[in-house]
Amino acid sequence: MPKYFLKGCDYPNMATKKTLPPVLEILRDNIVEHGNPLALKSKELSSWAKGLDLPEKGQILYYTGGEYQLLPYIDSLVKTLTYVDPASNIFSWLMEARKIVNKTGINAEKIYASILAKDKERYFSINYQAATILQKLGYDLCYDGKNELYSGALLYELGFWKELKEYAGKVAKSIEKTEAKTIVCLSPHAAEMFKIIYPKLVDFPKVEVKTFIEMVWEKRDLLPQINYNQPVVIHDSCRMARELGITQEIRDILTSVGVTYIEPIRNKEWTTCCGGPSKMLFPEISKIVAERRINELSDTGSKKALISCPYCLSALQSGIVKDNDFVLDDIVEFLYRGFKN
Amino acid sequence: MSDLNKELSEYTKNLNKASKDSNINRAITRAVKAYRDTVEDTMERHPHTPELAEEVRRIKEYSMENNQQLLEKAMQSIEKNKGKAFYAKDREEALRITNEIIGTGKTVVKGKSMLGEELQIRHGLEESGNEVWETDLGEFILQLKNDRPMHILSPAIHVPREQVAEIFTEFFKKEIPPDIAQEVAVVREFLREKYFTADVGISGANVVAADTGQIVIIENEGNVRLCTGAPPVHIVLVGIEKLVPSFLDSMKVAEVTWRYAQYASPSYVNIISGPSKTGDIEKVTTYGAHGPKEFYVIFVDNGRSEMLKDPTCRQALSCLRCGGCMYECPVFQVTAGHYGRTYLSGIGSVWTSFVDGGVEEAAPMLYTCLRCGRCVERCPMKIEVPTMVGELRNRLVSE
Repeated sequence: MPKYFLKGCDYPNMATKKTLPPVLEILRDNIVEHGNPLALKSKELSSWAKGLDLPEKGQILYYTGGEYQLLPYIDSLVKTLTYVDPASNIFSWLMEARKIVNKTGINAEKIYASILAKDKERYFSINYQAATILQKLGYDLCYDGKNELYSGALLYELGFWKELKEYAGKVAKSIEKTEAKTIVCLSPHAAEMFKIIYPKLVDFPKVEVKTFIEMVWEKRDLLPQINYNQPVVIHDSCRMARELGITQEIRDILTSVGVTYIEPIRNKEWTTCCGGPSKMLFPEISKIVAERRINELSDTGSKKALISCPYCLSALQSGIVKDNDFVLDDIVEFLYRGFKN
Repeated sequence: MSDLNKELSEYTKNLNKASKDSNINRAITRAVKAYRDTVEDTMERHPHTPELAEEVRRIKEYSMENNQQLLEKAMQSIEKNKGKAFYAKDREEALRITNEIIGTGKTVVKGKSMLGEELQIRHGLEESGNEVWETDLGEFILQLKNDRPMHILSPAIHVPREQVAEIFTEFFKKEIPPDIAQEVAVVREFLREKYFTADVGISGANVVAADTGQIVIIENEGNVRLCTGAPPVHIVLVGIEKLVPSFLDSMKVAEVTWRYAQYASPSYVNIISGPSKTGDIEKVTTYGAHGPKEFYVIFVDNGRSEMLKDPTCRQALSCLRCGGCMYECPVFQVTAGHYGRTYLSGIGSVWTSFVDGGVEEAAPMLYTCLRCGRCVERCPMKIEVPTMVGELRNRLVSE
């Protein structure tokens, strides 16, 4: 039995069963059973698309993976975890809550929403803004709406590869049904999964996988100018820069819209992690890593950083200390300004 | 609540505490900046280094493929050089062989060695009734502080001069001010006597040339020269992964190692082939002239063979222990060696999984890794730590 592992929620008999930290098991079970790490209802996750009337089938599949939508809920959970000893009974109780809630049929979303979901509006609308930008650039998008499944990136990250293999089959089938030839991923984590990991695991449909950044970059000449007369600083996400090799595209896009940018001390393939990956298990360390990255970004003198990954956006947000007027924009939010004007 | 719960909780608390420790924060921040600046400067002065690193990658890959043959060859070469070569499959065997050579009631001076830490050799020898002195300044501080290394190259990276002064004042029983030059001087004076009265010197090795049996040890302080040169017996403890085919290969590995460890050139590179000898009187070869009369090399496996068989994790054996990855690790930057056991940070979690307790003991470390991949950018061997960490997490949860 792993010496350091916590007693799992489902395994009260520790003498005979191997145990994992409960938070890992909850995330795994939720993805496998509910199609996303927090077991949020698909109707809720796809609610941002109201009004866009995107078809379910088409050449270009717009894929959110529910990742931006999940952020406020994850933040709520993390804030809870930060102040609760993972070894405590309270922690176990909290982790059990989701299961109890599901078993008793109580609306889980209401519980989560009632805890802390103040950023919900912002993160949900990033999906809308990104879709709108792509449409304005002439891309004809489809969206799988309520059928869209999370990419399973966390299953991969946390080591649940057996479960991922099975789960990836379901995701691949759901993508195949859309008849898309191209998937445009809003999150670099999803792009990494479809581009690099899935082909090793399942018979993945022969589709081209692209990030939102690449799609915009290809039509950057059509972007409206942005009236922002101060330099912004670019935070490269680890996945985007090191796994997908996308760095210059972001800079080209900013040049196209007439915005000057500054490079932080650590950038491109040398970028510093936002701390996001350790948010669930080591929230305090995650926050300190985020604070240090915020320092690197703000040391450039810029007052605004542009982010192109949902997890970086959320993690770095927690690294901005009180009274610091440094602002983080997702690159989607920033580019959307041009269309609003 | 079970003890298991408590352990992960303790690990997390320890990490959190370290991240708020101003000594660690100050020391690591300075060290990271110094490392990056120096490496940049060093690479500019020696621009052939990245290309040489690529060649070393190929040498290491070849050496892994042919490890068994290289081991046999190296052992034969050492014996030809009038040294004695041993193979130890695990810690117990390494300790037994070392104890058999040394016996009891001896004074031992020891150079810095990660393998020595892995085997806890100092404690093993002390338990057998020997007096053992760490001679690397950082290790010496930690020996007195009863602490463990917080970086593989700069073990006492977390101890500021003020704390060193307190430790030395208590140990030497005289006031030592928090002045680095004076702190260094007092240890120099103390250890000098130990080198020349010690019965045995112990060292690690950075690389071993199989064709000549030559042991290469990189250092700056000069303590290794004294440890390996002054006592009548020299014992080398070295992991089997340090073998390369030829002397020329060993020099290439050495240069890349010190360059990525931020040195344009280290103060000393020790190359040792066998016991000290002279033929100055009537051309009769006599051993033990000025240096050791006896020379022993113990090749230690302790899980490395298993690692070699592992298609995903064998690449970790190419690690040169330059320490560059740690300076780039965002978690190490805030917690130092608290993110680790004997081996530290992401690469350390892989090593721990094979040679220092197994994957279950490595679990907290494996899940501490951000898998951000910046270590790979720095690594001269391009070791894919995030890939290995992912694989080991998978094994852990699949067991």
